[in-house]
Amino acid sequence: MPSQELEAAYEIYTQYEGMRNVSAGPKLEVRQLNAFYGTKQALYDVDLAIEPNKVTALIGPSGCGKSTLIRCLNRMHELVPDARVKGQVLLDGSDIYSKALDPVDVRRRIGMVFQKPNPFPNMSIADNVVAGLRLNGVRDRGRLEEAGRRSLQRVYLWDEVKDELKRSGASLSGGQQQRLCIARALAIEPEVILMDEPCSALDPTATAKIEELIAELKAQYTVVIVTHNMQQASRVADYTAFMYLGKLIEYGETTALFERPKEQLTERYITGKFG
Amino acid sequence: MRSRRFLLDKVLISLVCMSVVIAIVPLASILYYVTIRGLPAMNPGFFTKLPPLPLPGAPGGLGNAIQGTLILVGLAACIGLPFGVLSGIYVSEYGKNFYGLTVRFLGDVLVGNPSIVVGILGFILLFRPFHGDNLYAGVFSLSIIMIPIVSIATAEALNLVPSSIREASAALGIRKWRTSLLVVSNAKSGVATGALLATARVMGEAAPLILTVGWSNFWYAGPTAPVASLTYAIWSFGTSGLQNWVNLAWGAAFFLIVMVIAINLAVRLLTRGRITYA
Amino acid sequence: MPRLVDMGLDKLNDMLLEMATLSENAVAASIEAYGMGGKGDKGVEVREWSKHLQTLHHQVSDLSMELIARFQPVASDLRFIKACFEISYGFYRFGRYALDIIEVVDIFGDLSKCDRKAVIETAHSTQKMIRMSVDAFARRDVALARGIPKLDDAVDDSYRENLRTVLDQKKDIRCALSANLILRYLERISDHATYIGESVDYIVTGVEPSH
Repeated sequence: MPSQELEAAYEIYTQYEGMRNVSAGPKLEVRQLNAFYGTKQALYDVDLAIEPNKVTALIGPSGCGKSTLIRCLNRMHELVPDARVKGQVLLDGSDIYSKALDPVDVRRRIGMVFQKPNPFPNMSIADNVVAGLRLNGVRDRGRLEEAGRRSLQRVYLWDEVKDELKRSGASLSGGQQQRLCIARALAIEPEVILMDEPCSALDPTATAKIEELIAELKAQYTVVIVTHNMQQASRVADYTAFMYLGKLIEYGETTALFERPKEQLTERYITGKFG
Repeated sequence: MRSRRFLLDKVLISLVCMSVVIAIVPLASILYYVTIRGLPAMNPGFFTKLPPLPLPGAPGGLGNAIQGTLILVGLAACIGLPFGVLSGIYVSEYGKNFYGLTVRFLGDVLVGNPSIVVGILGFILLFRPFHGDNLYAGVFSLSIIMIPIVSIATAEALNLVPSSIREASAALGIRKWRTSLLVVSNAKSGVATGALLATARVMGEAAPLILTVGWSNFWYAGPTAPVASLTYAIWSFGTSGLQNWVNLAWGAAFFLIVMVIAINLAVRLLTRGRITYA
Repeated sequence: MPRLVDMGLDKLNDMLLEMATLSENAVAASIEAYGMGGKGDKGVEVREWSKHLQTLHHQVSDLSMELIARFQPVASDLRFIKACFEISYGFYRFGRYALDIIEVVDIFGDLSKCDRKAVIETAHSTQKMIRMSVDAFARRDVALARGIPKLDDAVDDSYRENLRTVLDQKKDIRCALSANLILRYLERISDHATYIGESVDYIVTGVEPSH
């Protein structure tokens, strides 16, 4: 049982962490990014600045490159055979693609949640949440339990599952599984959370819960979300980027982009004139 | 015309049913004969006594053959399983390149390799240097047979694990080798199935043993001496003219079939309810 | 391929064009009545039109809400719906002021001996502005819309000029007062015409109206 001093110290720590995120410039800066699958090019000279402690949405029709772009932000793109990247992605000013950096370290600072909830099937709920810590060598039971509880509380899952932590991760409903995956990503204390269409596989109620969670998470983290649902982007995002055929067409504050887009292409897409 | 299609339907169904019967009959008759002939030989002496002298009515058992088979298969598994599982992991998790594809291809080829060819290899490499039957040659040959089977089965089982698990693990910043371990733990039953089936296979091999470990009428006597085995006994005793030896051969056949069935039942138990990962 | 929301947007457009015609006619009728010195009974017509315009305005409001709730429109569609609501209010006010003008004419009785030149001239300017605003909306013509405020100044000046003379004159109080009231209504109509122009600008360019 954590003492009160420990709790207080933790509060200060999280506030410090939150403040640490408020840096002078953009949290993530994409510079002249080109991405390839073998010989096929998927991204063309993308320049984008992701603001800290804000939600940025990537929208666009299928095949526009938004999923590719988000996977370049945490070096997941290069896990595909024959995939390569040209250009820079700066996290707090340092290029995550520099040879000096280990991709694994990048992914510990930039977490990801996927379209289809993917809790580890042969692990319990408790093991799932702390998997990122345990499988990276953390052995201290106390620390794991504490981290697990905190993460589950942050996604409002703690009360629902606290009596059933030993149950398999796959026994939860779709919405709960996705929140479990978010808790799992939060447990390793990343700075940025990437979400690739996190609500696509969920029903409207579960979707609403996740969206509310996203709005809360931005106080402590920077969130980038890919969505094919424009209304979702207009609900949750502070900034929206519209992409088409691998190029960034327009980027700006969500209200401005959705009320008076600057580019004709953006206007046509968001009013459904080419879907 | 409807009635013509109806008739065709009936004809085809009967053909299919007949084919099933034709296919099952040999299998059923094997089981029947082996049981009828082999069951009487099952007595405690079968397991504990040495082979009888070639005199009619002489008492004895195949204890040394059972011991020999267990030693040979056990040691072959000690070599075959680790190499097989590890190469299967490589092919599935690390081998999305030309080298990995080659390993996979060779594995597929070697699975169907005639075991007598493996026996010859063992003969040349390990029999001749020792100037006689020896354990090393036999274990070597059997493990060579096991490795591709286990490797392919492991690779297949791992391929069935959804890539979403690998993705989730990578996104958490977990190292590649640890992710691979995680994937393997999700395919445990598939890997175990491969291991068990490979074991059952080599348990029933005769040709390589004939060429490498030969036969001994005594208990296991060290790695540089011949080792008795059940399959050798079936071949050698079964074709002799002596009634007591033939009976023992049937007993050995029965015992072997029971072991194989037991192993297959174990495989069934392992994969129940989780067919997807088998 | 037309989108689901297009049917609603087209209906909105048609309703507004109907309101445009009605309000233009109402204003013309009321000015004509004044010009004829108060004779004739255009009053009944104008009253009917004004009432119809009010009903249409409420219908436009309801349809706008329905389209927003059902289709979550964005960008130009959203701006169009917002502007339609504002523009329909403008047309409704045209009708209302036309009614007010007719009532002045009715109440003040025979005005044939009054000097109605200033008012008639101003009325023509106002009617021109109405025409410009209707055309600008029908054709989404931003240049035309931006030309409307220039005429507004003349109308404003005419109203203030007349306001000053009301106190000076020893003329017939009926003529002076009726002229002043009607000029005031014309001034309000002109203001609304400029607002309509600004709303048309907003539809096309997204520039926020100043009012």
